[in-house]
Amino acid sequence: MENGYLNTEAGPLKINAAGEVSTKKARARKKAGLNKDAVMTVLYPVLFGILVLVLWQTQVLHKILGTDTFTLPLPGRIINIIFENVPAILKNVQATVIVAVGGLLLGSVLGYFLGIVAMAFPKWGSGGISIASAFTAVPIVAIAPILNNLTKDLSDDPHIRSMLAKTLVVMITCTVSMSINAYRGFTELKPFSLDLMKSYAASKTTIFLKLRVPNSLPYIFTALRVSVPASIISALVSEYFAEFIIGVGRQIRESIVLAQYATAWAYILVACAIGILMYAILLIAEGVILKGRRHR
Amino acid sequence: MNRVKKVLSSKQIVTLVWVIGLIIVWEIGATVIAQTKRTPEYVLPHISQIVDSVFSDKLVNGSQTATQIVLSNAALTLVRAGIGFIIGSIIGFILALLMNMFLPVEKIAFPYLMMIQMIPILGMAPIILAITKDIDKSRIVIAAILTFYPVATNTLAGFKAVEKAKHELMYSIAAKKKDIYKKLLIPASLPYFFTGLKISAPMAITASILVDTLQGGGGLGCMLSQSLKHAMSIYVFWQIVFFSAIIGILSFYLMSVIEKLVSPYKKVRR
Repeated sequence: MENGYLNTEAGPLKINAAGEVSTKKARARKKAGLNKDAVMTVLYPVLFGILVLVLWQTQVLHKILGTDTFTLPLPGRIINIIFENVPAILKNVQATVIVAVGGLLLGSVLGYFLGIVAMAFPKWGSGGISIASAFTAVPIVAIAPILNNLTKDLSDDPHIRSMLAKTLVVMITCTVSMSINAYRGFTELKPFSLDLMKSYAASKTTIFLKLRVPNSLPYIFTALRVSVPASIISALVSEYFAEFIIGVGRQIRESIVLAQYATAWAYILVACAIGILMYAILLIAEGVILKGRRHR
Repeated sequence: MNRVKKVLSSKQIVTLVWVIGLIIVWEIGATVIAQTKRTPEYVLPHISQIVDSVFSDKLVNGSQTATQIVLSNAALTLVRAGIGFIIGSIIGFILALLMNMFLPVEKIAFPYLMMIQMIPILGMAPIILAITKDIDKSRIVIAAILTFYPVATNTLAGFKAVEKAKHELMYSIAAKKKDIYKKLLIPASLPYFFTGLKISAPMAITASILVDTLQGGGGLGCMLSQSLKHAMSIYVFWQIVFFSAIIGILSFYLMSVIEKLVSPYKKVRR
């Protein structure tokens, strides 16, 4: 039984070892260390998490931070509140996710398109890209109110127009990182690949479709790894400034203003869950789409 | 040499043309809006109007001009952001060091470091304010949190990126662990450390401004929301927008400058 178990383990290990370590000794050492290593990787963080939860529930954490159960409610209570307010939370989650995902998609498509434009006109394009990278340093806090004012006359419905303003904020934050990475994906080609295409007398369109677009795929995911968390953060922050009171971020703030800290914590937990879920989806998509490609 | 000069100058010209182009687009937008809206200065004022307001000596809130308000509050916000940033980067560096020295620490902290990247920390700003009960403290805390994890992950990546041959060399000359860190690992990780700092410097400033908006009591964000609520001239708002944008960009370049001073010969291959 034990032998069979080891054999199944040895399969992936060998491939793994071939990529990293070549000596037989190191492979053997790794094989022996694998089980203990894997156990540690899972066990240690889980134990730490449980420890924190226990400290939290037994209020030791409150003593350390110098706070009380009113501002930092016990985990059980937070979970209770989430279950009690499912419909209201879902409504706000929906608003936030629509803004975050909508802005992410619009921004990424626009950014990719800008990357294409920059690639087509390299001399002006690279200058534009370096200007665009300066925009990443502009705080969201500054962009959100401007767009609120800009979109004020676009619709009579405050719900729609604040939705639009929020989506635009997210879009701007996502456009920049995508355009920078798409441009790099189009231009940082493997050595000689462009020469090879030219030796085939490939047209510019062919080079673009057969060489540049496939080459840009990993770069798209590099951009998304930045912009997925950024899209949620900017969605939450733009909600602070929006006209219409809806969304997870806004509810956190409103609950604090009303001194309902437990509700605020419930929404924070929900916001974290959205963030982790969207990142997990991205990682799975990346794993599927970039399967068989060596990641940079 | 001449050719290098030529390329450099043309690059600057490209940037210049882009900036001018952006200004033209802004001005066209401002002109259109000036004709269609009743209060154009709330939507998109002319750049000249904003520049005028910087140099005008009209008092906006009884005792200060718009520029004085922006600068005095900026000092308040930026000092806190700076303190948080420094604390955060020290914690981040030490954590990365501990993670590299002790395997259990790495095993415990790494998954949480990955998770914290996906958690919208800025969304937690109000609750941190509620816990610390002091706006100055919460500014520092949030700036520190936002700084520590990019620094920690990047520095750790720097420690891991040191080539095996260098470790073997250190081993062959029987170097002490302390010396390995001092002579090899820490210098090698510096470029990565600065990559982390460059990511987090603008974030620390954003966070600090955002925390301001949560409560009265001064700071750029507080003035920003007051100006939006018509409590003072709207140009205060526009000045803060431009000021925070410029400071955000400058903070990024400041890190590059410090990096060049500290480790002039090293660069991350990216």
